[in-house]
Amino acid sequence: VFTVTKRADLHSKANSKTGTKTSALAMVQPLALFGSPALLAGEDAAAYHQLVSRFRAAINPVDIIDEMLIADVVALEWEVLRWRRLKAELMRMRELKALQDFLSNHLYLKHYRKSFVEDLTEILQDYLEDQTEDDARTLAHKCAELEPDAVNKFNQIVAGNFNITEIRETARVFKAEELAQDYARRKPSTIKLISKLLAWADTSIDALTLEPLVEELDNIERIDRLTTIAETRRNAMLREIDRRRAVLSEALRRQVQEVEGEFKVVEKTPAEAKNAA
Amino acid sequence: VTSERKIRANRANARASTGPKTAHGRSHAARNALRHALSLPVYSDPLLSEEVEAFARQIIGTDANPEMHEPARRVAEAQIDLRRVRHARHQILSQPLSDPDYESEVMLRKKSALVLRYARRFDLSMPMPDDVMEILSSKPQGPYKFAAILADKARELLALDRYERRALSRRKFAIRAFDAVSRRNLRIEAALQT
Repeated sequence: VFTVTKRADLHSKANSKTGTKTSALAMVQPLALFGSPALLAGEDAAAYHQLVSRFRAAINPVDIIDEMLIADVVALEWEVLRWRRLKAELMRMRELKALQDFLSNHLYLKHYRKSFVEDLTEILQDYLEDQTEDDARTLAHKCAELEPDAVNKFNQIVAGNFNITEIRETARVFKAEELAQDYARRKPSTIKLISKLLAWADTSIDALTLEPLVEELDNIERIDRLTTIAETRRNAMLREIDRRRAVLSEALRRQVQEVEGEFKVVEKTPAEAKNAA
Repeated sequence: VTSERKIRANRANARASTGPKTAHGRSHAARNALRHALSLPVYSDPLLSEEVEAFARQIIGTDANPEMHEPARRVAEAQIDLRRVRHARHQILSQPLSDPDYESEVMLRKKSALVLRYARRFDLSMPMPDDVMEILSSKPQGPYKFAAILADKARELLALDRYERRALSRRKFAIRAFDAVSRRNLRIEAALQT
């Protein structure tokens, strides 16, 4: 006959067992046991450990095998994030480069005049030490407009050491780089300007980035394959944790049913009943 | 029923396509298993086998049932194997990534071709033009570098992936076997207590 006392004994045994396992788990350092985190140069170790904590809190490991599976889930999730980040970054860089090339060919003087004038002023100041900055700037402005007299004067001053067309080209490329960066940061005025330039050239940002993306197709496919492998394995780990939980809960349920089936309330003896009254 | 002629042809084809033929191919294939030594069982390394035993003891915990030892050891063995494969894979990626002078194999070939082309056309005593020098001194950076490494190491990564898949599969079935033994022991224990 399974008495209340016996049941209580079993409970206390079970508790003591759980207690032993918990203290054993507390001694375990999961990361050290399952290998150090596979971080690459530039990856954030603190973010990785945070991910470990989040998964452990969510899954609540019951034994060392659970810990092992969690370590795997975290490592695989980290890998998925790594590949996604790499793919996004690769595509973004390609887009930026395509936009930069487009802008280098489609910017008008009015878009990069300021930096062109700045460059010319700086060069002229080095040569015209006896004159003021304003004089140099006035001449630079005229050179930027390609006024023949001003250009001749500039060539005489720099004595052939600089080519005004090259300086202009550098200013244009520099401005194109700057605008592409601003576009990536979604600066409203730059987006407006670039949209206008794209419309004038009868193209779109999608058309512009298509060709460079085709060039990256092999890399993108490779990254996608790695992402899929990591995702599939991570999901398999989660299923394995689920399966273990289901088995554990099934075993517990069966135990409870057996215990319930054998449970009988011990009748009070007449003396105890009398005392209670 | 497969005809006698077909069987003969199949056998002849099989003989013609089993492994490398040349001396170079054979010596290369003979070294395959030594590259990462991942095909060697963990018990061939005393340090690793010690680790397996220690890990198995941790899996078993306080349960002294001898039936648990074998499945626990199998879980530990597969886990240590998995760790070895992942470490090798990590090294393949992390070493070139932390090398500031890393250059992809494709770009190295392109650069060599460029120098050869230049040498054929021009006098090598003359300094190379700036644009050529720029190409020769350029190095992949950021995501381009990572993508180049993945492209260069694709074959090695694929080979390691096979090892990892096998180790994962072994560990999965080892865990299931361990859980099954644990459950059976729990049932026996409960039955004995009643």
